[in-house]
Amino acid sequence: MFKKRKLREAIAGYFLASPIIVAILVFTIIPIFQAAYYSFTDYDALFQQKYRVRFNAQEALENYFFVSPDENPSEEELLSLFDPVDFIELAVGVDLNAEQKKLVKREFNAEKLIEDFLSRRLDKTFVFSDFMKDYMKKGASVFAKYVPDFVGLANFFEAFKDRMFWISLKNAAVFSLVVTPIQTLLAIVLAVAANQRIRGVKFFKVSFFLPSITSAAAISMIFMLIYSKPGLLNRLLDYLGVGPIDWLGNVKTALPSIMAMNIWTTAGYFMVTFLAGLQDIPTSIIEASMIDGANAWVRFWKITIPMLRNQIIFVVTMGIIGTLQVFDQIYFLIRNQENITISMYIYQNAFSYGKMGYASAIAMLLFLIIFSVTLVQRRVMREERF
Amino acid sequence: MKEGEDGVNRGHKAGKTVAYALLIAYAVVSFGPFVWALLVSITPMTYEKDGQRVGVDIMQWPPKINLFSWPPKVFDAPATLSNYRKVFEVVPYARWILNTVIYAGLTTIGHLLFDSMGGYAFARLRFPGKNIIFTLFLATMMVPAYVTIIPVYNLMVRYNLVNTYAGLFLPKLTGVVTLFMMRQFFLNLPTEVEEAAIIDGAGALRRFFQVALPMAKPALATLAIYTFLGTWNDFLWPLLMTSDKSMFTLTMGLNFFRTSYYTFWQLMMAATLFMTLPMVIVFLSFQRYFVESGATTGLKG
Repeated sequence: MFKKRKLREAIAGYFLASPIIVAILVFTIIPIFQAAYYSFTDYDALFQQKYRVRFNAQEALENYFFVSPDENPSEEELLSLFDPVDFIELAVGVDLNAEQKKLVKREFNAEKLIEDFLSRRLDKTFVFSDFMKDYMKKGASVFAKYVPDFVGLANFFEAFKDRMFWISLKNAAVFSLVVTPIQTLLAIVLAVAANQRIRGVKFFKVSFFLPSITSAAAISMIFMLIYSKPGLLNRLLDYLGVGPIDWLGNVKTALPSIMAMNIWTTAGYFMVTFLAGLQDIPTSIIEASMIDGANAWVRFWKITIPMLRNQIIFVVTMGIIGTLQVFDQIYFLIRNQENITISMYIYQNAFSYGKMGYASAIAMLLFLIIFSVTLVQRRVMREERF
Repeated sequence: MKEGEDGVNRGHKAGKTVAYALLIAYAVVSFGPFVWALLVSITPMTYEKDGQRVGVDIMQWPPKINLFSWPPKVFDAPATLSNYRKVFEVVPYARWILNTVIYAGLTTIGHLLFDSMGGYAFARLRFPGKNIIFTLFLATMMVPAYVTIIPVYNLMVRYNLVNTYAGLFLPKLTGVVTLFMMRQFFLNLPTEVEEAAIIDGAGALRRFFQVALPMAKPALATLAIYTFLGTWNDFLWPLLMTSDKSMFTLTMGLNFFRTSYYTFWQLMMAATLFMTLPMVIVFLSFQRYFVESGATTGLKG
């Protein structure tokens, strides 16, 4: 009886958890291992469809021999002219590596192909992998699916020598190290201000929150307008005697402009986090310190900041991890390759250049960095607890 | 003693003034860009002046804006809402709205269903391998999206799901972070009611659907809002999954108002604000959930 109930509970548990288990397995866990594998290969997106090439075998052979079956060429003659490796590489257009060449030379059934050619059985569209299944005596499975070559640590060595890798990594690191402390401090200051028993706190909360619910794409568009050379920012700065500066076009100012935009987006969001933390601080502590004569500056550093410790660690960690991966804003607003960040470089390699093996290797390096940040956070949090 | 109190009060008042000044200044900074975008979005491209069609220079300075005349004047031209209509004419904007609603809607439904099911199973039920699976899930939270997008993209290419709704929403149907949130919610739920249901002989499934799930409404609301907002604003995945204009989402479409020769600022701002407005409405109607969860993510564990 008891056992039966346990079994039923386990079945229910699996039933309820199975959709998410399957989804996480298919879309996260297996891809992590695949990406790890890609990072040790020369996986090239351009070759993904390599063995899916479609061609008309009759036409390809006619072009190869410069002869049509109508001219009644002899089978022996054609056979003596036929080189399967040449045919595949030149007439079909699929490149073969050394091993594949050897395999094709050994196992290609040229007799069957020529026979079919002469009896005109080839005048249809073949998919290359199916064609090989038909005309290889053995080993056609090599052509069933694109398998990238294993290159060991070559991608990682390439990254270490790649100037763009270091530039994009440096940009992301600078972005993160500038944006995170400023947005955290600004959020704390705003939260402290809003915590002064002020009227309309709700209004301020809502208006500060607004940028963080707006998509990065939309925000990028608005700031593209504001940052443009004849735009609002330059007009206002003109009163201070600054500018005009082409904020997004200039290599020196483009990234700082986006950093400022990012601070603007997230400071209000984190302010709400800090405000909640501040409301947990007993007012008696603050009042006691005021009676002791502590001024606002001292109270801020000696009471507020230590009491917000947990929230600060959380906001700083989220900030670092988030900003290291900034993408949308970079995609919309950065025009100079010198200003891209690491996530953009991964994107470009994988989806513009097709170098998915190399892109995966860089992604693994980014993972290592984020993993270390998380470890440091864990350590700091644990110290706090005991 | 009395003097001390006076000092506190005076300090308090000065502090309050500084606080107001700071908050108002930042509210201006926070709102300013939206207001500017709004002004540009209601500016016509051309207008009739002294019997002649003239173009509008939205970069003019100082901007000739008078909102108290009729019609209101923006950048020396009569304000108009026509850009919001024109957006639907020059690009398939209605289609992009539909695509975005489908993408965000299906993703949200998936999260509501699968995260709560999984959250309940991991919080309340015992089944072999549960802890190992959960630990494995937690470990994946540290992996940046850029690691998995390449293989997932290839998977979608292999099954011909590029430029389909399935390609957009399938990989987004669940998530470990939101699963964790739902599990945490069910863990904090008092067990008494469920225990009563057990005594009544209710099986685990009935307990979940009839007892626990109805109690989870606040958590489900937060989950729904965050998922919908996140998907509505998502850019990276639609960028990879859609190349056909008819499958674009709103974020993807924004690029359309910028050509290498000319940027259609008025239309671009109209489109930008148009896609932001629904989220502002969602935010204003459900702010309690935003602000509350903002507070809870401020770490309690």
